[in-house]
Amino acid sequence: MTDLTPITALGAKTARKETYDALTLSENPELALASLALRRDQTPPSPFGLRLPDPGHCADKGSVAAFWTAPGQWMIEAPGRANEDFAARLEEEVPGGSISEQTDAWTAIEITAKNSAALEALMQKLVNLDPAQIAPGHAARTGLEHMSVYLIRRSETHLAVMGMRSFAAALWHALVTAAARIDQTA
Amino acid sequence: MTRLNGGLVDRGTTLSFAFNGKSYAGHPGDTLASALLANGVQLMGRSFKYHRPRGVFSAGSEEPNAMVELREGARQEPNTRATVTELYDGLIARSQNHLGPLNRDLLAMNDYFAPFFAAGFYYKTFMWPRAFWEKLYEPMIRGAAGLGRLSKQADPDAYDKGFLHCDLLVIGGGAAGLAAALTAGRAGAQVILADEDFRLGGRLLAESHTLDDAPATGWAASVAQELASLPNVRLMTRTTVFGVYDHGVYGAVERVADHLATPGPRVRQSLWRITAKRAVLAAGATERHIPFADNDRPGIMLAGAMRAYANRWATAPTRNAADPVAVFANNDDGHRTALDLMAKGVPVLGVIDPRPDAPRLGDYDLFAGGVIDGTKGRLGLSAIRITQDGRSSWHRCGALGVAGGWNPNVHLASHHRGRPVWEETLLAFVPGTGGPSGLFPAGAAAGKGSTAAALQSGMEAARKALAEIGIAATALSLPDAEDAPIRQAAFWHVPGKRRAWVDFQNDVTVKDIALAHKENMRPVEHLKRWTTLGMATDQGKTANISALAVMAELTDKTIPETGTTIFRPPYTGVSLSVLGGGDTGAHFRPKRLTPTHHWAEEQGAVFVEVGAWMRAQYFPRPGETHWRETVDREAKAVRAGVGLCDVTTLGKVDVQGADAGEFLNRLYSNMMGTLAVGKVRYGLMLREDGHAYDDGTCARLSEDHYVVTTTTANAGPVYRNMEFARQCLWPDLDVQVISTTDAWAQIAVAGPKSRALLERIVDEFDLSNAAFPFMACAEMTVCKGLRARLFRISFSGELAYEIAVPARYGQALMARLMEAGADLGVTPYGTEALGVLRIEKGHAAGAELNGQTTAQMLGLGRMVSQKKDSIGAIMSRREGLAADRRRLVGLTPVDPAATVTPGAHLFAEGAARSMATDQGWITSAAFSPHLGSSIGLGFLEDGETRMGEILVAANPLEGQETRLKVVSAHFIDPEGERLRD
Repeated sequence: MTDLTPITALGAKTARKETYDALTLSENPELALASLALRRDQTPPSPFGLRLPDPGHCADKGSVAAFWTAPGQWMIEAPGRANEDFAARLEEEVPGGSISEQTDAWTAIEITAKNSAALEALMQKLVNLDPAQIAPGHAARTGLEHMSVYLIRRSETHLAVMGMRSFAAALWHALVTAAARIDQTA
Repeated sequence: MTRLNGGLVDRGTTLSFAFNGKSYAGHPGDTLASALLANGVQLMGRSFKYHRPRGVFSAGSEEPNAMVELREGARQEPNTRATVTELYDGLIARSQNHLGPLNRDLLAMNDYFAPFFAAGFYYKTFMWPRAFWEKLYEPMIRGAAGLGRLSKQADPDAYDKGFLHCDLLVIGGGAAGLAAALTAGRAGAQVILADEDFRLGGRLLAESHTLDDAPATGWAASVAQELASLPNVRLMTRTTVFGVYDHGVYGAVERVADHLATPGPRVRQSLWRITAKRAVLAAGATERHIPFADNDRPGIMLAGAMRAYANRWATAPTRNAADPVAVFANNDDGHRTALDLMAKGVPVLGVIDPRPDAPRLGDYDLFAGGVIDGTKGRLGLSAIRITQDGRSSWHRCGALGVAGGWNPNVHLASHHRGRPVWEETLLAFVPGTGGPSGLFPAGAAAGKGSTAAALQSGMEAARKALAEIGIAATALSLPDAEDAPIRQAAFWHVPGKRRAWVDFQNDVTVKDIALAHKENMRPVEHLKRWTTLGMATDQGKTANISALAVMAELTDKTIPETGTTIFRPPYTGVSLSVLGGGDTGAHFRPKRLTPTHHWAEEQGAVFVEVGAWMRAQYFPRPGETHWRETVDREAKAVRAGVGLCDVTTLGKVDVQGADAGEFLNRLYSNMMGTLAVGKVRYGLMLREDGHAYDDGTCARLSEDHYVVTTTTANAGPVYRNMEFARQCLWPDLDVQVISTTDAWAQIAVAGPKSRALLERIVDEFDLSNAAFPFMACAEMTVCKGLRARLFRISFSGELAYEIAVPARYGQALMARLMEAGADLGVTPYGTEALGVLRIEKGHAAGAELNGQTTAQMLGLGRMVSQKKDSIGAIMSRREGLAADRRRLVGLTPVDPAATVTPGAHLFAEGAARSMATDQGWITSAAFSPHLGSSIGLGFLEDGETRMGEILVAANPLEGQETRLKVVSAHFIDPEGERLRD
């Protein structure tokens, strides 16, 4: 175990969290990520027993999850394992696949809501997506305040927004500004 | 007070407000205009040009006259229409465009000079003398222009934006809009109903009609209630749909907090982009007036507006309740105003109707075949002159309603260059075909203005629109409603010698139109610009068609032959604040921070924007008084010891797959497939046209895994090109790419002591020159087990490395290196020193890779492999490009104290300064602390053969001339020994 101390994408030793009446936003620095792209003619695998989701969707099984990112390409998520070499674990699961470490390429902000209406009201302020495209079980990549993000709708009341790590402060600002206003009008 | 009985105001609550410093009272449900009228205030403003006294003319967003400065301080907003300003407690408004008090405007003298202000007077008056234009005329005109005053302070309120999606957008919440929304809502469609008013109902709120023998307001309220209960329907009052854009996108502004004194924690307004599969345009109609002599006095308003004030706001239009009200109408609809006023107990003088066979619809005096051809009243109407059967007589009159027919609000249907078409039976333009696809006009906006027709057409439009997207909607059981036929005369204005206003806000009269006609400004586009008709904030909503009719009469053409105006967004004014829709300060655009940003901040770094990135530019130390002092120190520290620079911003792309090598062979001009595992190669990419595109390094981590770096600026574009090449050009290749720019923090460790420093942090890894030579790379661990990637590459020309670790450890690694290298003199350096070092070494960067240079020019011609094809290779050999003889050279000033200026062009000594004699230009320059003088890089014709030659760098724009000596671009260590040490 290295003796270097990591920091979160927002520049602190601990994750940031903001709670409003209807919404809670939490930085999720412990989420390990690795991209998986199929080689030519490779049969889609089932890493960690996970059935890889169809386009526009996300799926989870046990302690891992995945969302579709491009034809033949997924992001595999492993909560709480950011300090591991998760890409190496995935390589063991999917020998011969093209795998890249993506844990620190992204900042994941988990948004939980008291109800789906608050979550959808928030999304209406942030992304130009039809709510059907981001219904529970769906994932999408889109623009948010000039940043490129992934949205993963983990449940009716849970949405993860993943933005590029270097944009973390700007993304957090955009999300909390909108969330605070949703509270005022909800 | 002139408050009548009934109405839709909450009399149980009193709101106080101030107009021109005087306090008044109103009620919730009032607009500023209705509350002022209820307080007997008719005079609300002054006209633009002649400063004529003006009162409220309409009851909606078409208002040309009643414009006020609303609120105070930084929130003061000019040109706010009193007719759509919802009254709130503490509202403060002032009239605008006058000098001195509103009732004694000193600029009213302009009215006496009216003959000088005729149409086109700008163009005629300010022609000469020419010298007066900039110094006198323009400032004078600019000073006089505009109506209200800006606060000139920053807007203190927040605005935001959002995106909505629906099956059906219904624009307008009157009879047609409510029927459409209800039809669609009950069918389960996703519906958005937007209305600019704060209450749904449209004209149903303004009329005394009944639906199923009950007040229409009751039906409107019950429909609104049902719609509000449907989860698939979103009701958006206080929301103006202002434009139709491509792909079914509608722009709308929701006035979230305009009806409050201050927004508090809310945003003031929201900008919505609504993506609608289909839309129903139920925007209603705007009544037009009939120009006659002196028709602009306060108290003269549209007859429909007068009904609205009486029925919805329980307000008489007069200053004194005893003053009689008259109606001047060329159609039956106008007579309703007299009936409704009488029903409210307002004394009615009668209805003046130019139609000889005008019907008498109630117990009022009818002046059939009569016209109004004169008015009196300095600050408000006091008398009208009625001429009937050749006899004229003056009548005391406190207010006059004018009914000239209704113009469908075709505006949104005219976006996308849709042309309205003339409907002779309606004497109006209705939406034509060819407007925005998927937009279905209904109700009065489609010329179906009776309540029954509006309800029916709203329902039908919704059913038809939904059928197109596969949603079946059943017909509603519509209430019984009035269905009076439209009976009107094509009577457009009362001829006469006195001025008759057509466009109130811009003071355009029938005479002005006649003058434009006389001066051959007859096409409507010319008419508009010659007279300024329709060019004010109201965009001529009450004037355009009347003006067309007058011009048609003068040219002896029909109205459709005369033309129509094209309507563009926005339908009504939209503030720039809401169009900005978000942050205006530090968060105006998102910034990217490097992994060591916070550490650099703690070191006192000065940052520079590099695209979206914030990069440390230099790290000043106490006592350093000039940035160059800092930069010189940092550059010298690298060449003498070791320096650290965060280079995470350079693009990184993982390229994997069995054909990764072949893929890179095709992307890079030089060979990459042959690169040995564990090695790095400098690579050059060309554009398809053969010019140099981007440079970087390519490291082979394993047989089928490369890591490519790009310049900071091209990180995105190169990755995008790779995806394009992979997916579209060569889908047969087995290759997968993904950006890892943000995943890894990368730190340049440069200088002769860099190896010594790195040896202190690597975990049992042999860094000796033999084991890890120049251009080696490896995956390894540092700091007791942290995975890292190490590349022995050099931008500075010194022994150097770049080390990458997961981004979360970047800051800790930087701190560790600083701590571990303290005795080695380790120094952080920023982009300025980075620039100095690379210019000293002769490395190309953005200034050299500017899209106009070739590999040969950069001295990299041999990198374009002849053994294989790659993007741009063939085009790089084309005549003209290959023949470019300019080459990258170094330049030093002959006088060591002189400065090399980037951008200056190079000429032979004594040559004329012209394009023909131009021999190249300077791309980059810096002060070299190692050479003790300014140095530069540049492109020079036949540069490689001209070492030692003296040239002149000319900067004619700033009058600079500097003598320079041509030298090798490699000022430091030209043999490249240091980086191989």
